[in-house]
Amino acid sequence: MATETSLPSNETQDYSHSILRNTTTPVAEFTPPTVPTTIYKFPTMEPLRFESYSSKYLYLPLRRDILHRAVIFEGDATRQGTASTKTRYEVHGSHRKVRPQKGMGKARLGTRQSPVIRGGGKSFGPHPRDFSTELPRKVYDLAWRTALSWRYRKGGLIICEDGMDIDYLKARYAKRIFDHNHWGNAYGRSLVVTNSYRKNLFGAMQDLGSEGRVQVVDDVDVKDLLEQGRIIIEKSALDEILRQHQSDLVAKVRTGV
Amino acid sequence: MPPRLAALTAYCRTAPAAALPSIALLSPFMQGRFSSILATLSDNAGAYNKRIRRGRGPSSGKGKTSGRGHKGQKQHGSVPARFQGGQTPQDIVHGVRGFENLFSAEMSPVNLNRIQSWIDQGRLDPTRPITVKELVESRCIHGVKKDGVKLLARGKEELKTPINILVSRASAAAIETIEAAGGNVTTRYYTQQSIKRLLKGESESSFTPLALAPNTAEVSPTSNTTASSASPFLYRLPDPTSRKDIEYYRDPAHRGYLSHMVGEGQGPSLFFKTPRVGGRRKSKKPGTAAAAKENRLW
Repeated sequence: MATETSLPSNETQDYSHSILRNTTTPVAEFTPPTVPTTIYKFPTMEPLRFESYSSKYLYLPLRRDILHRAVIFEGDATRQGTASTKTRYEVHGSHRKVRPQKGMGKARLGTRQSPVIRGGGKSFGPHPRDFSTELPRKVYDLAWRTALSWRYRKGGLIICEDGMDIDYLKARYAKRIFDHNHWGNAYGRSLVVTNSYRKNLFGAMQDLGSEGRVQVVDDVDVKDLLEQGRIIIEKSALDEILRQHQSDLVAKVRTGV
Repeated sequence: MPPRLAALTAYCRTAPAAALPSIALLSPFMQGRFSSILATLSDNAGAYNKRIRRGRGPSSGKGKTSGRGHKGQKQHGSVPARFQGGQTPQDIVHGVRGFENLFSAEMSPVNLNRIQSWIDQGRLDPTRPITVKELVESRCIHGVKKDGVKLLARGKEELKTPINILVSRASAAAIETIEAAGGNVTTRYYTQQSIKRLLKGESESSFTPLALAPNTAEVSPTSNTTASSASPFLYRLPDPTSRKDIEYYRDPAHRGYLSHMVGEGQGPSLFFKTPRVGGRRKSKKPGTAAAAKENRLW
Protein backbone atom coordinates (compact mmCIF):
# COMPACT_ATOMS: atom_id res chain seq x y z
CA MET A 1 0.00 0.00 0.00
CA ALA A 2 0.94 3.60 -0.40
CA THR A 3 1.01 4.13 3.34
CA GLU A 4 3.89 1.76 3.76
CA THR A 5 7.23 3.47 4.05
CA SER A 6 10.35 2.08 2.48
CA LEU A 7 12.82 0.60 4.86
CA PRO A 8 16.15 2.36 5.31
CA SER A 9 17.89 -0.90 4.44
CA ASN A 10 17.72 0.05 0.75
CA GLU A 11 21.07 1.74 0.88
CA THR A 12 22.89 -1.31 2.10
CA GLN A 13 21.22 -3.35 -0.62
CA ASP A 14 22.49 -0.88 -3.20
CA TYR A 15 26.02 -1.41 -2.05
CA SER A 16 25.84 -5.15 -1.84
CA HIS A 17 24.48 -5.84 -5.30
CA SER A 18 27.01 -3.75 -7.16
CA ILE A 19 30.17 -5.60 -6.29
CA LEU A 20 31.33 -5.21 -9.83
CA ARG A 21 31.30 -1.44 -9.76
CA ASN A 22 33.16 -1.06 -6.52
CA THR A 23 36.26 -3.06 -7.21
CA THR A 24 38.28 -0.27 -5.64
CA THR A 25 37.14 -0.34 -2.07
CA PRO A 26 35.92 2.91 -0.52
CA VAL A 27 38.35 2.31 2.31
CA ALA A 28 41.19 4.81 1.95
CA GLU A 29 44.12 2.68 0.99
CA PHE A 30 47.71 3.83 1.28
CA THR A 31 49.06 5.09 -2.01
CA PRO A 32 52.83 5.44 -2.21
CA PRO A 33 54.09 8.53 -4.06
CA THR A 34 55.82 6.38 -6.66
CA VAL A 35 55.49 2.81 -7.79
CA PRO A 36 58.29 0.59 -9.08
CA THR A 37 58.38 -1.03 -12.48
CA THR A 38 60.80 -3.50 -13.99
CA ILE A 39 62.34 -2.81 -17.37
CA TYR A 40 62.86 -5.94 -19.43
CA LYS A 41 64.94 -6.64 -22.49
CA PHE A 42 62.42 -7.53 -25.13
CA PRO A 43 62.71 -10.92 -26.72
CA THR A 44 64.64 -12.54 -23.88
CA MET A 45 62.59 -10.83 -21.14
CA GLU A 46 65.68 -10.50 -19.01
CA PRO A 47 65.03 -7.94 -16.24
CA LEU A 48 67.43 -5.04 -16.64
CA ARG A 49 66.61 -2.44 -14.00
CA PHE A 50 63.88 -0.82 -11.96
CA GLU A 51 62.22 2.47 -12.79
CA SER A 52 59.72 4.28 -10.64
CA TYR A 53 56.69 6.13 -11.87
CA SER A 54 54.46 8.55 -10.02
CA SER A 55 51.32 7.02 -8.55
CA LYS A 56 49.34 9.62 -10.42
CA TYR A 57 50.49 7.98 -13.64
CA LEU A 58 50.52 4.27 -12.95
CA TYR A 59 48.69 3.72 -9.66
CA LEU A 60 45.33 5.44 -10.05
CA PRO A 61 42.18 3.82 -8.72
CA LEU A 62 40.02 2.02 -11.25
CA ARG A 63 37.22 4.28 -12.47
CA ARG A 64 34.95 2.23 -14.68
CA ASP A 65 32.78 5.24 -15.48
CA ILE A 66 35.68 7.25 -16.83
CA LEU A 67 37.00 4.33 -18.86
CA HIS A 68 33.50 3.85 -20.22
CA ARG A 69 33.21 7.47 -21.26
CA ALA A 70 36.60 7.35 -22.97
CA VAL A 71 35.76 4.14 -24.85
CA ILE A 72 32.41 5.56 -25.99
CA PHE A 73 34.08 8.82 -27.00
CA GLU A 74 36.59 6.95 -29.12
CA GLY A 75 33.93 4.72 -30.62
CA ASP A 76 31.83 7.72 -31.63
CA ALA A 77 34.81 9.45 -33.16
CA THR A 78 35.69 6.31 -35.13
CA ARG A 79 32.30 6.07 -36.81
CA GLN A 80 32.57 6.94 -40.48
CA GLY A 81 29.12 8.43 -40.82
CA THR A 82 29.12 8.11 -44.60
CA ALA A 83 25.83 6.22 -45.02
CA SER A 84 23.81 8.01 -47.66
CA THR A 85 20.50 7.51 -49.44
CA LYS A 86 18.58 9.50 -52.01
CA THR A 87 15.36 11.27 -51.19
CA ARG A 88 12.53 11.54 -53.70
CA TYR A 89 14.01 14.82 -54.87
CA GLU A 90 17.41 13.30 -55.61
CA VAL A 91 16.33 10.14 -57.44
CA HIS A 92 16.93 10.52 -61.18
CA GLY A 93 14.05 10.50 -63.63
CA SER A 94 11.07 12.29 -65.07
CA HIS A 95 8.35 13.72 -62.87
CA ARG A 96 5.68 12.68 -65.35
CA LYS A 97 2.43 11.45 -63.79
CA VAL A 98 2.65 7.67 -63.74
CA ARG A 99 -0.98 7.12 -64.86
CA PRO A 100 -4.21 9.11 -65.07
CA GLN A 101 -5.73 10.27 -61.80
CA LYS A 102 -9.03 8.49 -62.43
CA GLY A 103 -10.55 5.73 -64.49
CA MET A 104 -7.93 3.00 -64.20
CA GLY A 105 -9.39 1.31 -61.13
CA LYS A 106 -6.01 1.59 -59.46
CA ALA A 107 -4.38 3.73 -56.79
CA ARG A 108 -3.59 7.39 -57.41
CA LEU A 109 0.05 7.87 -58.31
CA GLY A 110 2.11 10.99 -58.94
CA THR A 111 5.77 10.56 -59.79
CA ARG A 112 7.97 7.48 -60.01
CA GLN A 113 10.21 8.90 -57.26
CA SER A 114 7.52 8.56 -54.58
CA PRO A 115 8.82 6.68 -51.52
CA VAL A 116 5.94 4.20 -51.65
CA ILE A 117 6.94 2.93 -55.08
CA ARG A 118 9.73 0.45 -55.70
CA GLY A 119 12.73 2.37 -57.04
CA GLY A 120 11.51 5.53 -55.39
CA GLY A 121 13.35 7.71 -52.90
CA LYS A 122 13.92 6.89 -49.25
CA SER A 123 11.79 9.01 -46.92
CA PHE A 124 13.92 9.29 -43.84
CA GLY A 125 17.09 7.54 -44.95
CA PRO A 126 20.60 8.03 -43.61
CA HIS A 127 22.71 10.94 -44.79
CA PRO A 128 26.38 11.62 -44.12
CA ARG A 129 26.90 13.06 -40.65
CA ASP A 130 29.43 13.39 -37.91
CA PHE A 131 28.81 11.05 -34.98
CA SER A 132 31.68 12.31 -32.87
CA THR A 133 30.90 13.40 -29.32
CA GLU A 134 32.89 15.53 -26.94
CA LEU A 135 34.81 14.62 -23.81
CA PRO A 136 36.77 17.09 -21.67
CA ARG A 137 40.47 16.66 -22.33
CA LYS A 138 41.27 16.22 -18.65
CA VAL A 139 38.75 13.40 -18.33
CA TYR A 140 40.15 11.68 -21.40
CA ASP A 141 43.69 12.00 -20.14
CA LEU A 142 42.64 10.59 -16.78
CA ALA A 143 41.08 7.65 -18.61
CA TRP A 144 44.39 6.88 -20.35
CA ARG A 145 46.27 6.81 -17.09
CA THR A 146 43.48 4.90 -15.37
CA ALA A 147 43.68 2.22 -18.05
CA LEU A 148 47.46 1.94 -17.66
CA SER A 149 47.09 1.91 -13.87
CA TRP A 150 44.58 -0.89 -14.04
CA ARG A 151 47.03 -2.84 -16.17
CA TYR A 152 49.80 -2.11 -13.70
CA ARG A 153 47.74 -3.21 -10.71
CA LYS A 154 46.84 -6.45 -12.45
CA GLY A 155 50.46 -7.06 -13.40
CA GLY A 156 49.57 -6.74 -17.05
CA LEU A 157 51.88 -3.84 -17.88
CA ILE A 158 55.19 -5.20 -19.09
CA ILE A 159 57.67 -2.45 -19.86
CA CYS A 160 60.55 -3.20 -22.18
CA GLU A 161 63.78 -1.50 -23.07
CA ASP A 162 63.74 0.79 -26.12
CA GLY A 163 64.44 -0.82 -29.48
CA MET A 164 61.94 -3.69 -29.26
CA ASP A 165 62.30 -5.96 -32.26
CA ILE A 166 62.87 -9.62 -33.03
CA ASP A 167 65.66 -11.21 -35.02
CA TYR A 168 63.63 -12.89 -37.76
CA LEU A 169 60.59 -11.84 -39.72
CA LYS A 170 58.87 -15.13 -38.87
CA ALA A 171 55.43 -15.71 -37.37
CA ARG A 172 56.72 -19.05 -36.06
CA TYR A 173 59.48 -17.29 -34.17
CA ALA A 174 57.13 -14.72 -32.66
CA LYS A 175 54.71 -17.49 -31.70
CA ARG A 176 57.45 -19.27 -29.76
CA ILE A 177 58.19 -16.06 -27.88
CA PHE A 178 54.51 -15.60 -27.05
CA ASP A 179 54.09 -19.22 -25.98
CA HIS A 180 57.16 -19.19 -23.79
CA ASN A 181 56.08 -16.03 -21.97
CA HIS A 182 52.44 -17.11 -21.67
CA TRP A 183 51.26 -14.18 -23.71
CA GLY A 184 49.28 -16.04 -26.33
CA ASN A 185 45.71 -16.99 -26.97
CA ALA A 186 45.36 -19.22 -23.91
CA TYR A 187 46.40 -16.30 -21.74
CA GLY A 188 44.07 -13.70 -23.16
CA ARG A 189 46.31 -12.47 -26.01
CA SER A 190 48.63 -9.47 -25.75
CA LEU A 191 49.06 -6.02 -27.19
CA VAL A 192 52.61 -5.05 -28.13
CA VAL A 193 53.19 -1.30 -28.38
CA THR A 194 56.31 0.15 -29.95
CA ASN A 195 57.40 3.71 -30.50
CA SER A 196 57.88 3.29 -34.25
CA TYR A 197 57.44 0.71 -37.00
CA ARG A 198 59.67 -2.35 -36.56
CA LYS A 199 59.91 -4.44 -39.70
CA ASN A 200 60.53 -7.88 -38.21
CA LEU A 201 58.13 -7.56 -35.30
CA PHE A 202 55.27 -6.10 -37.31
CA GLY A 203 55.81 -8.52 -40.17
CA ALA A 204 55.88 -11.53 -37.87
CA MET A 205 52.77 -10.44 -35.99
CA GLN A 206 50.82 -9.91 -39.18
CA ASP A 207 49.67 -13.52 -39.22
CA LEU A 208 49.49 -13.92 -35.45
CA GLY A 209 46.19 -12.15 -34.86
CA SER A 210 44.97 -15.01 -32.71
CA GLU A 211 47.89 -14.58 -30.30
CA GLY A 212 48.10 -10.82 -30.08
CA ARG A 213 48.54 -7.56 -31.86
CA VAL A 214 51.31 -5.04 -32.38
CA GLN A 215 50.68 -1.32 -32.73
CA VAL A 216 52.68 1.85 -33.04
CA VAL A 217 52.05 4.15 -30.09
CA ASP A 218 50.33 6.76 -32.25
CA ASP A 219 47.65 4.24 -33.23
CA VAL A 220 46.83 3.11 -29.70
CA ASP A 221 43.53 4.08 -28.08
CA VAL A 222 42.21 3.59 -24.56
CA LYS A 223 40.11 0.73 -25.85
CA ASP A 224 43.20 -1.01 -27.22
CA LEU A 225 44.79 -0.85 -23.77
CA LEU A 226 41.77 -2.56 -22.21
CA GLU A 227 40.97 -5.23 -24.78
CA GLN A 228 43.52 -7.94 -24.31
CA GLY A 229 45.24 -9.89 -21.55
CA ARG A 230 48.29 -7.63 -21.11
CA ILE A 231 50.33 -4.88 -22.69
CA ILE A 232 53.97 -5.26 -23.62
CA ILE A 233 55.12 -1.70 -24.17
CA GLU A 234 58.36 -0.02 -25.06
CA LYS A 235 59.47 2.40 -22.35
CA SER A 236 59.68 5.39 -24.67
CA ALA A 237 56.19 4.59 -25.95
CA LEU A 238 54.83 4.50 -22.40
CA ASP A 239 56.55 7.77 -21.59
CA GLU A 240 55.10 9.31 -24.74
CA ILE A 241 51.58 8.22 -23.75
CA LEU A 242 52.03 9.62 -20.26
CA ARG A 243 53.50 12.86 -21.58
CA GLN A 244 50.60 13.40 -23.94
CA HIS A 245 47.95 12.58 -21.36
CA GLN A 246 48.77 14.60 -18.28
CA SER A 247 46.70 17.74 -18.86
CA ASP A 248 44.96 17.38 -15.48
CA LEU A 249 48.31 17.22 -13.67
CA VAL A 250 50.42 19.79 -15.48
CA ALA A 251 49.19 23.37 -15.66
CA LYS A 252 49.81 24.58 -19.17
CA VAL A 253 50.99 28.17 -19.22
CA ARG A 254 51.43 29.51 -22.71
CA THR A 255 54.54 31.58 -23.14
CA GLY A 256 55.86 33.55 -26.06
CA VAL A 257 59.42 33.33 -24.80
CA MET B 1 28.67 -16.43 -15.77
CA PRO B 2 28.38 -15.02 -12.22
CA PRO B 3 31.11 -17.16 -10.64
CA ARG B 4 33.56 -16.14 -13.35
CA LEU B 5 32.89 -12.44 -12.87
CA ALA B 6 33.15 -12.73 -9.11
CA ALA B 7 36.50 -14.40 -9.54
CA LEU B 8 37.59 -11.55 -11.78
CA THR B 9 36.69 -8.91 -9.23
CA ALA B 10 38.47 -10.83 -6.52
CA TYR B 11 41.50 -10.83 -8.81
CA CYS B 12 41.20 -7.06 -9.29
CA ARG B 13 41.06 -6.55 -5.53
CA THR B 14 44.40 -8.18 -4.84
CA ALA B 15 46.64 -6.22 -2.54
CA PRO B 16 49.07 -3.87 -4.33
CA ALA B 17 52.08 -5.72 -3.02
CA ALA B 18 50.97 -8.86 -4.80
CA ALA B 19 50.03 -6.96 -7.94
CA LEU B 20 53.57 -6.03 -8.88
CA PRO B 21 54.75 -6.94 -12.39
CA SER B 22 56.49 -10.00 -11.00
CA ILE B 23 53.03 -11.58 -11.07
CA ALA B 24 53.74 -12.40 -14.70
CA LEU B 25 56.02 -15.15 -13.40
CA LEU B 26 53.16 -16.66 -11.45
CA SER B 27 50.79 -16.60 -14.37
CA PRO B 28 51.01 -20.37 -15.07
CA PHE B 29 49.33 -20.93 -11.70
CA MET B 30 46.65 -18.34 -12.33
CA GLN B 31 45.26 -19.76 -15.51
CA GLY B 32 41.64 -19.17 -16.14
CA ARG B 33 39.35 -17.71 -18.70
CA PHE B 34 40.30 -14.17 -19.54
CA SER B 35 37.36 -11.84 -19.80
CA SER B 36 37.82 -8.33 -21.02
CA ILE B 37 37.10 -5.43 -18.71
CA LEU B 38 35.24 -3.77 -21.57
CA ALA B 39 32.12 -5.79 -20.80
CA THR B 40 31.89 -4.43 -17.26
CA LEU B 41 32.39 -0.76 -18.04
CA SER B 42 29.47 1.56 -17.52
CA ASP B 43 28.91 5.14 -16.58
CA ASN B 44 27.58 6.14 -13.18
CA ALA B 45 23.88 5.60 -12.65
CA GLY B 46 23.07 9.30 -12.47
CA ALA B 47 25.05 10.25 -15.56
CA TYR B 48 22.22 9.66 -17.98
CA ASN B 49 18.56 10.63 -17.96
CA LYS B 50 16.03 8.24 -19.32
CA ARG B 51 14.47 9.43 -22.54
CA ILE B 52 10.88 10.66 -22.13
CA ARG B 53 8.54 8.54 -24.21
CA ARG B 54 5.62 10.73 -25.22
CA GLY B 55 2.15 9.46 -26.02
CA ARG B 56 2.61 6.06 -24.37
CA GLY B 57 -0.40 5.96 -22.06
CA PRO B 58 -1.73 7.89 -19.06
CA SER B 59 0.59 6.36 -16.47
CA SER B 60 3.64 7.78 -18.23
CA GLY B 61 2.62 11.35 -17.39
CA LYS B 62 3.18 12.37 -21.01
CA GLY B 63 0.34 10.32 -22.43
CA LYS B 64 -2.81 11.88 -23.77
CA THR B 65 -1.68 15.22 -25.18
CA SER B 66 2.03 14.42 -24.98
CA GLY B 67 2.63 17.66 -23.05
CA ARG B 68 1.38 19.87 -25.90
CA GLY B 69 -1.93 21.01 -24.37
CA HIS B 70 -5.24 21.17 -26.18
CA LYS B 71 -6.04 22.26 -29.73
CA GLY B 72 -4.52 24.81 -32.01
CA GLN B 73 -1.39 25.53 -33.96
CA LYS B 74 0.91 24.85 -31.01
CA GLN B 75 -0.47 21.36 -30.69
CA HIS B 76 -0.22 20.54 -34.37
CA GLY B 77 2.88 22.28 -35.56
CA SER B 78 5.12 25.19 -34.87
CA VAL B 79 4.29 28.87 -34.46
CA PRO B 80 6.80 31.37 -35.85
CA ALA B 81 9.06 32.70 -33.12
CA ARG B 82 8.09 36.37 -33.76
CA PHE B 83 4.35 35.68 -34.00
CA GLN B 84 2.28 37.38 -31.30
CA GLY B 85 -1.21 36.16 -32.11
CA GLY B 86 -1.76 38.63 -34.94
CA GLN B 87 -0.47 41.74 -33.14
CA THR B 88 2.21 43.64 -35.05
CA PRO B 89 5.46 41.83 -34.31
CA GLN B 90 8.00 43.56 -32.11
CA ASP B 91 10.65 43.76 -34.80
CA ILE B 92 8.19 45.61 -37.06
CA VAL B 93 7.10 48.00 -34.29
CA HIS B 94 10.62 48.91 -33.21
CA GLY B 95 12.55 48.16 -36.35
CA VAL B 96 16.29 47.99 -36.68
CA ARG B 97 18.28 50.87 -35.27
CA GLY B 98 21.80 51.89 -35.97
CA PHE B 99 24.13 50.67 -38.67
CA GLU B 100 27.31 48.73 -39.11
CA ASN B 101 30.29 50.88 -39.87
CA LEU B 102 32.12 49.09 -42.65
CA PHE B 103 35.11 51.40 -42.35
CA SER B 104 35.78 50.99 -38.63
CA ALA B 105 38.97 49.20 -37.71
CA GLU B 106 38.32 46.07 -35.71
CA MET B 107 41.33 45.49 -33.51
CA SER B 108 42.32 43.36 -30.56
CA PRO B 109 43.28 45.63 -27.68
CA VAL B 110 46.27 44.92 -25.47
CA ASN B 111 47.00 47.05 -22.43
CA LEU B 112 50.27 48.01 -20.80
CA ASN B 113 49.50 46.54 -17.37
CA ARG B 114 48.75 43.19 -18.97
CA ILE B 115 52.04 43.23 -20.84
CA GLN B 116 53.90 44.08 -17.62
CA SER B 117 52.08 41.28 -15.81
CA TRP B 118 53.03 38.81 -18.54
CA ILE B 119 56.66 39.93 -18.31
CA ASP B 120 56.59 39.48 -14.52
CA GLN B 121 55.21 35.96 -14.94
CA GLY B 122 57.97 35.13 -17.38
CA ARG B 123 55.53 34.61 -20.23
CA LEU B 124 56.98 37.40 -22.38
CA ASP B 125 60.67 38.04 -22.87
CA PRO B 126 61.38 41.82 -22.66
CA THR B 127 64.92 41.42 -23.97
CA ARG B 128 63.59 40.41 -27.37
CA PRO B 129 61.12 42.29 -29.58
CA ILE B 130 57.50 41.67 -28.57
CA THR B 131 55.43 41.20 -31.72
CA VAL B 132 51.94 39.99 -32.51
CA LYS B 133 53.24 36.43 -32.65
CA GLU B 134 54.66 36.57 -29.13
CA LEU B 135 51.50 38.19 -27.79
CA VAL B 136 49.27 35.52 -29.26
CA GLU B 137 51.45 32.56 -28.37
CA SER B 138 51.68 33.65 -24.75
CA ARG B 139 47.89 34.15 -24.76
CA CYS B 140 48.36 37.82 -23.83
CA ILE B 141 45.69 38.29 -26.48
CA HIS B 142 43.33 35.53 -27.49
CA GLY B 143 43.38 35.56 -31.25
CA VAL B 144 43.71 38.61 -33.45
CA LYS B 145 40.74 40.46 -34.90
CA LYS B 146 40.78 41.27 -38.57
CA ASP B 147 42.69 44.56 -38.48
CA GLY B 148 45.39 43.62 -36.02
CA VAL B 149 46.45 44.59 -32.52
CA LYS B 150 46.23 48.01 -30.92
CA LEU B 151 48.37 48.90 -27.92
CA LEU B 152 46.45 50.86 -25.27
CA ALA B 153 47.63 52.54 -22.08
CA ARG B 154 45.44 51.11 -19.33
CA GLY B 155 47.48 50.71 -16.15
CA LYS B 156 50.33 52.67 -17.69
CA GLU B 157 51.79 53.48 -14.27
CA GLU B 158 52.52 49.75 -13.81
CA LEU B 159 54.87 49.54 -16.79
CA LYS B 160 58.47 49.56 -15.56
CA THR B 161 60.31 47.31 -18.02
CA PRO B 162 61.71 48.82 -21.23
CA ILE B 163 60.18 46.87 -24.11
CA ASN B 164 60.60 46.85 -27.87
CA ILE B 165 57.13 46.24 -29.25
CA LEU B 166 55.73 45.89 -32.76
CA VAL B 167 51.95 46.18 -33.17
CA SER B 168 49.40 47.45 -35.68
CA ARG B 169 48.55 50.64 -33.85
CA ALA B 170 49.38 52.32 -30.55
CA SER B 171 47.67 55.03 -28.55
CA ALA B 172 49.56 58.27 -27.89
CA ALA B 173 49.58 57.63 -24.13
CA ALA B 174 50.97 54.12 -24.63
CA ILE B 175 53.76 55.39 -26.86
CA GLU B 176 54.63 58.10 -24.36
CA THR B 177 54.72 55.64 -21.43
CA ILE B 178 56.83 53.03 -23.18
CA GLU B 179 59.35 55.58 -24.37
CA ALA B 180 59.50 57.14 -20.91
CA ALA B 181 60.41 53.67 -19.59
CA GLY B 182 63.21 53.50 -22.16
CA GLY B 183 61.44 51.24 -24.65
CA ASN B 184 60.49 51.37 -28.30
CA VAL B 185 57.19 51.27 -30.16
CA THR B 186 56.82 50.56 -33.86
CA THR B 187 53.52 50.22 -35.67
CA ARG B 188 53.28 48.08 -38.77
CA TYR B 189 50.60 47.35 -41.31
CA TYR B 190 49.04 43.89 -41.09
CA THR B 191 46.34 42.21 -43.11
CA GLN B 192 44.21 39.32 -41.94
CA GLN B 193 46.14 37.00 -44.23
CA SER B 194 49.53 38.23 -43.08
CA ILE B 195 48.60 37.75 -39.42
CA LYS B 196 47.53 34.21 -40.21
CA ARG B 197 50.86 33.52 -41.92
CA LEU B 198 52.75 35.19 -39.11
CA LEU B 199 51.15 32.95 -36.52
CA LYS B 200 51.75 29.84 -38.61
CA GLY B 201 55.43 30.74 -38.81
CA GLU B 202 55.30 31.29 -42.57
CA SER B 203 56.27 34.95 -42.26
CA GLU B 204 58.80 36.77 -40.17
CA SER B 205 57.80 39.42 -37.62
CA SER B 206 59.79 42.10 -39.36
CA PHE B 207 60.18 45.77 -38.51
CA THR B 208 61.35 46.65 -42.02
CA PRO B 209 58.85 47.54 -44.75
CA LEU B 210 58.50 45.24 -47.71
CA ALA B 211 60.01 47.94 -49.96
CA LEU B 212 63.26 47.90 -47.96
CA ALA B 213 63.41 44.16 -47.27
CA PRO B 214 66.01 42.22 -49.27
CA ASN B 215 64.32 40.50 -52.20
CA THR B 216 65.36 36.86 -52.26
CA ALA B 217 63.98 36.36 -55.78
CA GLU B 218 66.54 38.77 -57.28
CA VAL B 219 69.54 36.93 -55.85
CA SER B 220 71.41 34.55 -58.14
CA PRO B 221 69.86 31.06 -58.37
CA THR B 222 72.58 29.20 -56.43
CA SER B 223 72.58 31.53 -53.48
CA ASN B 224 68.79 31.73 -53.72
CA THR B 225 68.41 28.02 -53.08
CA THR B 226 70.72 28.16 -50.09
CA ALA B 227 68.91 31.23 -48.77
CA SER B 228 65.49 29.61 -49.13
CA SER B 229 66.67 26.44 -47.44
CA ALA B 230 68.13 28.50 -44.60
CA SER B 231 65.09 30.72 -44.12
CA PRO B 232 61.89 28.97 -43.03
CA PHE B 233 59.73 31.88 -44.13
CA LEU B 234 57.69 31.46 -47.28
CA TYR B 235 56.01 34.86 -47.39
CA ARG B 236 56.96 38.45 -46.70
CA LEU B 237 54.64 40.86 -44.95
CA PRO B 238 52.84 43.32 -47.26
CA ASP B 239 52.91 47.09 -47.17
CA PRO B 240 49.71 49.17 -47.16
CA THR B 241 48.22 50.27 -50.46
CA SER B 242 45.29 52.41 -49.38
CA ARG B 243 45.89 56.11 -48.75
CA LYS B 244 44.43 55.99 -45.25
CA ASP B 245 46.76 53.20 -44.13
CA ILE B 246 49.83 54.67 -45.80
CA GLU B 247 49.21 57.99 -44.08
CA TYR B 248 48.85 56.30 -40.67
CA TYR B 249 52.13 54.44 -40.95
CA ARG B 250 53.96 57.43 -42.49
CA ASP B 251 53.18 59.44 -39.38
CA PRO B 252 56.11 59.66 -36.92
CA ALA B 253 53.60 60.47 -34.16
CA HIS B 254 52.22 56.92 -34.57
CA ARG B 255 55.79 55.54 -34.68
CA GLY B 256 54.83 54.17 -38.07
CA TYR B 257 57.29 51.87 -39.79
CA LEU B 258 57.02 54.01 -42.94
CA SER B 259 57.83 57.27 -41.15
CA HIS B 260 61.33 57.29 -42.71
CA MET B 261 59.61 58.21 -45.98
CA VAL B 262 58.50 61.56 -44.64
CA GLY B 263 61.08 64.23 -45.35
CA GLU B 264 62.22 66.99 -43.06
CA GLY B 265 59.43 69.46 -42.39
CA GLN B 266 56.83 67.44 -44.30
CA GLY B 267 53.54 65.98 -43.07
CA PRO B 268 52.42 62.38 -43.41
CA SER B 269 49.46 63.30 -45.60
CA LEU B 270 49.59 62.29 -49.24
CA PHE B 271 46.90 64.83 -50.17
CA PHE B 272 47.93 68.04 -48.51
CA LYS B 273 51.35 68.87 -49.92
CA THR B 274 53.61 70.77 -47.56
CA PRO B 275 54.59 74.11 -49.10
CA ARG B 276 58.22 74.04 -50.20
CA VAL B 277 60.53 75.94 -47.90
CA GLY B 278 63.75 75.23 -49.78
CA GLY B 279 65.20 77.27 -52.67
CA ARG B 280 64.04 75.05 -55.54
CA ARG B 281 62.30 77.91 -57.22
CA LYS B 282 65.26 80.23 -56.68
CA SER B 283 67.71 77.69 -58.08
CA LYS B 284 65.57 77.12 -61.12
CA LYS B 285 65.06 80.79 -61.90
CA PRO B 286 68.71 81.75 -62.29
CA GLY B 287 69.21 78.75 -64.59
CA THR B 288 66.42 79.74 -66.89
CA ALA B 289 67.52 83.33 -66.80
CA ALA B 290 71.04 82.28 -67.84
CA ALA B 291 69.70 80.13 -70.67
CA ALA B 292 67.56 82.99 -71.79
CA LYS B 293 70.61 85.23 -71.79
CA GLU B 294 72.56 82.79 -73.95
CA ASN B 295 69.70 82.37 -76.41
CA ARG B 296 69.23 86.07 -76.81
CA LEU B 297 69.80 87.08 -80.38
CA TRP B 298 69.51 90.75 -80.01
